[in-house]
Amino acid sequence: MRRVAAVARNTFRESVRERVLYNLLFFAVIMTVSGLLLGELSIRQDAKIIKDLGLAAMDLFGTLIALFVGVGLVSKEIERRSLHPLLAKPLSRDEFLLGKFAGLGFTLLVNVGLMTGGLYATLLALRRGADPALLKAVFAIYLALLVTVALALLLSILTSTAVASVSTLCLVIAGRYSDVILNLGDVVPGMPAWALRAVMILIPNFRNFDLKDRVVYGDPVTFGDLGWITAYAAAYTGTVITLAVIAFRRRELT
Amino acid sequence: MVEAPPAVDIRGLSKSYRIGHLRAQRRQAVHDLSLRVPRGVVFGCLGPNGSGKSTTLKLLLGLLFPDSGSATILGQPIGARAARQSLGYLPENPYFYDYLTPNEYLDYAGRLFGLPPGARKDRTRELLDLVGLAEAADVHLRRFSKGMLQRLGVAQALVNRPELVFLDEPMSGLDPLGRRSVREIILRLKAEGSTVFFSTHILADAETLCDEVALLRGGSLVAKGRLDQILSLDVTHMEVLVSGLGPQEVSGLPAGVETFRAMGERLVLHVPEKELGDVVVAVEQRGGRVLSVQPVRQSLEDYFFAEMGHPAKGETWTAGA
Repeated sequence: MRRVAAVARNTFRESVRERVLYNLLFFAVIMTVSGLLLGELSIRQDAKIIKDLGLAAMDLFGTLIALFVGVGLVSKEIERRSLHPLLAKPLSRDEFLLGKFAGLGFTLLVNVGLMTGGLYATLLALRRGADPALLKAVFAIYLALLVTVALALLLSILTSTAVASVSTLCLVIAGRYSDVILNLGDVVPGMPAWALRAVMILIPNFRNFDLKDRVVYGDPVTFGDLGWITAYAAAYTGTVITLAVIAFRRRELT
Repeated sequence: MVEAPPAVDIRGLSKSYRIGHLRAQRRQAVHDLSLRVPRGVVFGCLGPNGSGKSTTLKLLLGLLFPDSGSATILGQPIGARAARQSLGYLPENPYFYDYLTPNEYLDYAGRLFGLPPGARKDRTRELLDLVGLAEAADVHLRRFSKGMLQRLGVAQALVNRPELVFLDEPMSGLDPLGRRSVREIILRLKAEGSTVFFSTHILADAETLCDEVALLRGGSLVAKGRLDQILSLDVTHMEVLVSGLGPQEVSGLPAGVETFRAMGERLVLHVPEKELGDVVVAVEQRGGRVLSVQPVRQSLEDYFFAEMGHPAKGETWTAGA
């Protein structure tokens, strides 16, 4: 655990020093500009638009970091051989991989946390009140980001960085339109039901994590809902990380 | 009393890589290698570039997996955490996180060994002094030269006061001062009882430092043993440094002078031992002055050339640097 924490700590430091958190500047600009413009344009709807924009930006920037930083998380270390001296120390490959995952997970937590602070600050500055329900959508976004990191990590161990980036992106997009996959049987007649089901299970259902509209428009999100998506994220991430660990154990480091 | 297992015990290790566009062919990198490295020695793994030295080290460290064979490190199987707790490793052409400083990198390495904060701080300071990087302790590594990175590489390999240190081409990229410093570190480690296993293609380094060597070629072991067993200790000829003679005057010297070379305004004469007296007298009779006389024995370089001949395809090597 101590060694996993050391790798995670270093991964977080890398993210900060490699300016991954600079995306917060863009987020700040979006929040400020939207606050200034929308506050003037509409009545009562402006808070919803700001919440919508804030959550969407959080989701987008987070996904981009999870995907592109996630893909390079271990593959960059393999390419540059910077992990060779580390793995010669009493650090197992499993610990290294889990530490990298935890490090990026913590980076994303800080990123999402700061953005949430920015979103609330904008709402308060416009005297629109701090809606605590927003935190439920933020939590779901964060779970989706962890699933994305796990996928990026697995694919980057199995393939090249470029292929991993494209395939993770495809999976993220497919997962966000999983309702289309559900209706794939209509598009591809004769596709067996079990195949459809297998595709549905394999592709992460990112729609589960999209609580933005429900929260912004005041639909109830129960703790039961949150518990279910947490369990789904834990099961999916756990499975993918386990596969990544198995693949990484067998990976030759030339 | 039970004898401690050897530092390294390799039994029939083989490794091949897939090559070519379709990865259909295989290249044998290490072939049926067996070696025993006793504790407390400086062991040199020598061979041209591409002879399998780095692959052997990576197999021993569990970075690569052997096709066949096995090995133990400090009595433990490859990859055992207990062995890695007592190991140090400097990779060839190391890359360290360029966003860190030496202080931070060594602290990170210390954490992986489970050292407490105070011990990490003390050890970091001690190691940076040892490798001459104390003044750059807080400079980001992206600003480091290749030689400075190599020094840091040596330092991180010693964080845990290892019983066994693997150094892959440790002199690579170092200036003469840096090389001297690494040589001193290797000798100091030996004096402290550590085993040093280092790979090099620079024969002069091996000759200066090693108690035992193994010569690899094409992934196979060509020779292994103590330097005094491998090399002939007999004097092959004498080197006589003279001044006050020109190259044209050498022809007038006794027939004992086999060859000579100019060194500035001086000449170095290669003379068989039994002809030395006649040659010295003849030099002085012609107004020359004998500055020094040095016996020459077979060097590792001579042995290497004799054993290896010309480098095989894909191999390059350096006799000295």
